[in-house]
Amino acid sequence: MLENVPAAELSCVGRGVERIDTVEKLSGAAYYTGDLRFPGMLFAKVKRSPHAKARIARIDTHKARALPGVHAVLTGADLDVRVGLYLVDKYVLARDVVRHFGEAVAAVAAETPEIARKAVDLIEVDYEPMTPVLDPAKAIENGAPLVHPDLGSYDYVKEVFSPVGGTNIANLSKYRKGDVDKAFAEADLVVEREYTNPSVQHVPMETHVTVGQWQPGDKIQLWTSAQSPFTVRNLFCHAFKLSHNQVRVFIPYVGGGFGGKAGIHLEPLACSLSRAAGGRPVKIQATREEEFSLLPCRSGLVNRIKTALTKDGRILAQQMTMLWDAGAYADYAVNVTRASGYSAAGPYEIPAARIDAYTVYTNKPFGTAYRGFGHVEFSWGTERHMTVLARAIGMDPLEFRKRNALRPGSITLTGEVIREHTGNVTRCMETVAKAIGYGEELTPEWQQRELETGRRIGKSVVALHKAPAMPPFTGTAVVLRMNEDGTVIANLSLTEIGAGTYTSLAQIIAEALKFPIERIKVPVENDTDRDPYDWQTVASKGLMLCGNAAILAARDLLGKAYDMAAQVLRANHCDLDHDADRIFVRHNPECQVPFRALAVGYAYPNGNGIGGPLVGVGRYIAQGLTNLDKETGQGLPALYWTYGAHGLVVEVDPVTGEYDVLKVASAFDVGKAINPSAVRGQIIGGMIQGLGTAMCEGYIYDANGKLLNPNFTDNKIPTSLDMPAEIEAFVVETPQVDGPFGARGVGEHSMIAICGALGNAIQDACGADLTKMPIRAEDVWRALETAGPLLESSATIRNRAACNTRER
Amino acid sequence: MRIRVRVNGRDYQQEAPDHWTLLRFLREGLGLTGTKEGCGAGECGACTIIMDGLTVNSCLVLAPEADGTVIETIEGEAVAGELSPLQRAFHKHHAVQCGFCTPAMILSIKAFLRTNPRPTVREIQEAIEGNFCRCTGYQQIIEAVQEVTGQREGQEELGHA
Amino acid sequence: MLRPFFYVAPRTKAELLGILRDEGPGSRLLAGGTDVLAELRVAGKAPKQVVDIKKVEAFQGIRFDPGEGLSIGPRVTCADVLASPLVHREYPLLATAAAKLGSPQLRNRATPIGNICTASPCADMAAAFLALGAWTEIESARGVRRVEVKDFFVGVKQTVVEPDEVVTRVVVPAEMAGAAGDMEKLKRIRGHDLALASVALVKHGGKLHVAIGSCAPTPVVLPVLPVDAPVDEVKAEALKVIRPIDDVRASAEYRTFMVQVFIERLMARVEPQ
Repeated sequence: MLENVPAAELSCVGRGVERIDTVEKLSGAAYYTGDLRFPGMLFAKVKRSPHAKARIARIDTHKARALPGVHAVLTGADLDVRVGLYLVDKYVLARDVVRHFGEAVAAVAAETPEIARKAVDLIEVDYEPMTPVLDPAKAIENGAPLVHPDLGSYDYVKEVFSPVGGTNIANLSKYRKGDVDKAFAEADLVVEREYTNPSVQHVPMETHVTVGQWQPGDKIQLWTSAQSPFTVRNLFCHAFKLSHNQVRVFIPYVGGGFGGKAGIHLEPLACSLSRAAGGRPVKIQATREEEFSLLPCRSGLVNRIKTALTKDGRILAQQMTMLWDAGAYADYAVNVTRASGYSAAGPYEIPAARIDAYTVYTNKPFGTAYRGFGHVEFSWGTERHMTVLARAIGMDPLEFRKRNALRPGSITLTGEVIREHTGNVTRCMETVAKAIGYGEELTPEWQQRELETGRRIGKSVVALHKAPAMPPFTGTAVVLRMNEDGTVIANLSLTEIGAGTYTSLAQIIAEALKFPIERIKVPVENDTDRDPYDWQTVASKGLMLCGNAAILAARDLLGKAYDMAAQVLRANHCDLDHDADRIFVRHNPECQVPFRALAVGYAYPNGNGIGGPLVGVGRYIAQGLTNLDKETGQGLPALYWTYGAHGLVVEVDPVTGEYDVLKVASAFDVGKAINPSAVRGQIIGGMIQGLGTAMCEGYIYDANGKLLNPNFTDNKIPTSLDMPAEIEAFVVETPQVDGPFGARGVGEHSMIAICGALGNAIQDACGADLTKMPIRAEDVWRALETAGPLLESSATIRNRAACNTRER
Repeated sequence: MRIRVRVNGRDYQQEAPDHWTLLRFLREGLGLTGTKEGCGAGECGACTIIMDGLTVNSCLVLAPEADGTVIETIEGEAVAGELSPLQRAFHKHHAVQCGFCTPAMILSIKAFLRTNPRPTVREIQEAIEGNFCRCTGYQQIIEAVQEVTGQREGQEELGHA
Repeated sequence: MLRPFFYVAPRTKAELLGILRDEGPGSRLLAGGTDVLAELRVAGKAPKQVVDIKKVEAFQGIRFDPGEGLSIGPRVTCADVLASPLVHREYPLLATAAAKLGSPQLRNRATPIGNICTASPCADMAAAFLALGAWTEIESARGVRRVEVKDFFVGVKQTVVEPDEVVTRVVVPAEMAGAAGDMEKLKRIRGHDLALASVALVKHGGKLHVAIGSCAPTPVVLPVLPVDAPVDEVKAEALKVIRPIDDVRASAEYRTFMVQVFIERLMARVEPQ
């Protein structure tokens, strides 16, 4: 939509305008959920399981209930309520059995957090520990202990998912393309490897927090740090069998989500406690430690890839078995499995493919959506694998990628034909390759650095793609209301979780109305009773869908204003035009009426009124997408594909495995950068978050399934000192025909494939062949111990004299 | 215990339980909720405030320890409704995304620039090492600081291929 | 959220020692608080009272006595150490270690004495104090005793300090003034992190002093060696005193390897004055 408007004609779109939500964030005035206090508000704490799997033999809450100041104590026995996004498998509080370390078994609401905590201490729980299943490969073996013995009887979204009752398989998604067996038989070379990722925590700086109030008469209000107000409401109503009119969800400012706040989490518990406490509001906020295991994480992945290729570097076929370690509950993991499956080829054309993607239950904290929705995890394997394949046939890894890259006419795993306007992944690769001097001699500075430090420099280029993972019929709406003074308020339910989308939407609305952006307000807080429906703030789809709805709402508002103006000016609708302040007759511009005079209905001098307040409504729904065939995966799942590439330069100590990232250059085909400064923020921020996954993050368990690093002491995330020394961000702009002003989403993409970029650059530098996330110095050191002889670096042509002095 | 503190130039006297942290006292006692809790363990720095001229993690200071001190929080940064030059630079450079780490980040930089008005990039990175930001990747924060120190003019451009 | 306790802040050493004599076992000493409050937050039980020692005037200050050496009081923070020209001039290793500890906010509160009293195997200041041959002065109502830092630690997070005692000073001997030294610290990220393995090394007066962190239940120190000891001999001595474990931070094997690398690096880098 409006994708071909020349940049020169745009006054607001395409400019790095300042964000509309930062002044209050900078002054401390922005209220996040944890800042809210209500009269009579109680504080909740939970009792959590120390076991990965155990039968709850007895819970005694008498002492807790007797403690002065305690208003409610709940256990699983009090709440026969199961919640689930796609597969309804999780009790609000564990009933009879606990399925993961850190699971909530009881909860208390009290007048102070201290009393609540003391009461939790007084709750006695007798567990009978059982043998947990922790390894997803073992979990799908016949006879493995079942995490959910009743899986076969659970409700689930039948059009899309395929749980296998009597097993630990919460979903199996299958993708079939071409004749795989024939391709393997005809291949010059077959390479098979396995790549693994642990679970990773999102680490929003604001932990999950909810204030819930369940008033007498079943009127419910929720203030919650969540990404998807309508999904919270919908799942809440389903779980408790309530009308949607009974539940109101407010979203104050949100301190980061990254997918971890996409579904429903603490809301049912807070409201249940409130109900038990006679309707007093109850606040529950996760501690940082609880954030790691009471709340969900990102699923782990074991990714086995077998590829058939020719000597001249063409991929013929690929077979992939993906074991997604969902932990104890399915949550988003089933859909991560599905979406990653259809995307798992990466931005490359694979003529024949057989992909089996399993969502596997284990007795670990459960996985949910996380920025990139599976793509960060599988791209670690696929992008490592691409380089491994190239090296196996002695081809430059970038050349190999370009040779197999998707291009117009290519067919994806699900049968979609790539078109000219889909985007240009090769251009992304070439852009970052140039930025890091890929294939060129090291700069004199870097050569000197190698000589002085004894460290070795390596380079890599990786490519990526992702489409929004969402139901094919995902829709949204935007309502624009003109105020008496001609300013405009936009109501919508995409949430502003930090990405800056609201500013971009304000720019789109301003552009579509031809108003200055200062006249547009997009209220940051959401309210399901005030704002129109949006499915969820996930999947990098918000800007596209809401942007289109916003343009349509602007047109609707202008159309109604023109109708009134035509009457007032006694002019034909088609002869009217407008500027920021007024509607006028084009051939007689003095014949005009200001928007102010139309905003709440026009009043003639004698008092007669016409029209009424100006409201514009825009609705947009994804067009032409389909569910996928359950046996073959064929269909059309992708609203659009955003392509991208990273180029990375690393410096490795070939003795100790210590390394530093010297440079990262990233490029994405965003269609149109609505706000280039915000896009740059997404590119750099996501890249660093991805480097966190690559360098240092990940869950570590003991043999009994106890999480050993649920805190910042032992789950490090990147700090300012962990930034690459040099960072460059680029966009390619191949307009998305159905995107607002040609834009497509880029919120998640910067995290994707950066892990592979790091692993590949390290291999280029020192030969270490890495297959596991994360890459700690120790892991490089271990890989060096087993590394073969150094290959001539393909990514970096060295000064040979310098190089020879340091051969190990 | 009765706590007497001067916060953002205003004197307060208020009772607080002995075991309250300064963070909790500021937020719940004085209603200054701009200071955030990110971990409660001194790792993430989201609760950073300036106490007697030095940055501290207010989650690791007891409220009684702050008795008699002079404290600066984010609520004192904008004067008479006008953003400070540092806040304006953050605004201009898109150095804020979700905003949860922002108040603490501002205070760490504010205290740092008093001792080092023309820092190198490395020195800026060291100064905010104790302030986690999960959104921005720190780059635009550093650019904002450089603008305040007169070492940069204008926004860094996004490259167009 | 912390569990309730009482807060007391004695103004004098005598008052403090009286409190510890009467209520030592129920008391938790508080200096910078960066370890104590983080620990109390996750502890299953609160102490009866937290005794803030920062109001005791006598605990102030970094002083140098030409006969005794450098004396650091319990109120001195790592930031104070870093800001001291005296430390930089005479005991630069202390500044190096203090700079490696935590983040700016933590260094503004954390104290070198608190660091050794926490007695974590990874205590950054401990490695420096050990390499410099420092000793502590420990007081109680019963009297004063002097304990070498190398005898101070008795296990993971355990020291010789009794419940009625307080460390009133840590002293780095005068003969170590001007000692050349440096430290290497293995971390998981470039930003603030605990040591996965660390080595502090001093060359001074013809002698070589090496201390190692995070490789045994306590920080450890090698026997004093001649300054020209061969690197292999130093490494061999190191292997005798370390007892590293596998944990979430690193393997024993890698710790062992890196300690030797650090010794090599420091042996090559540190030039005796």
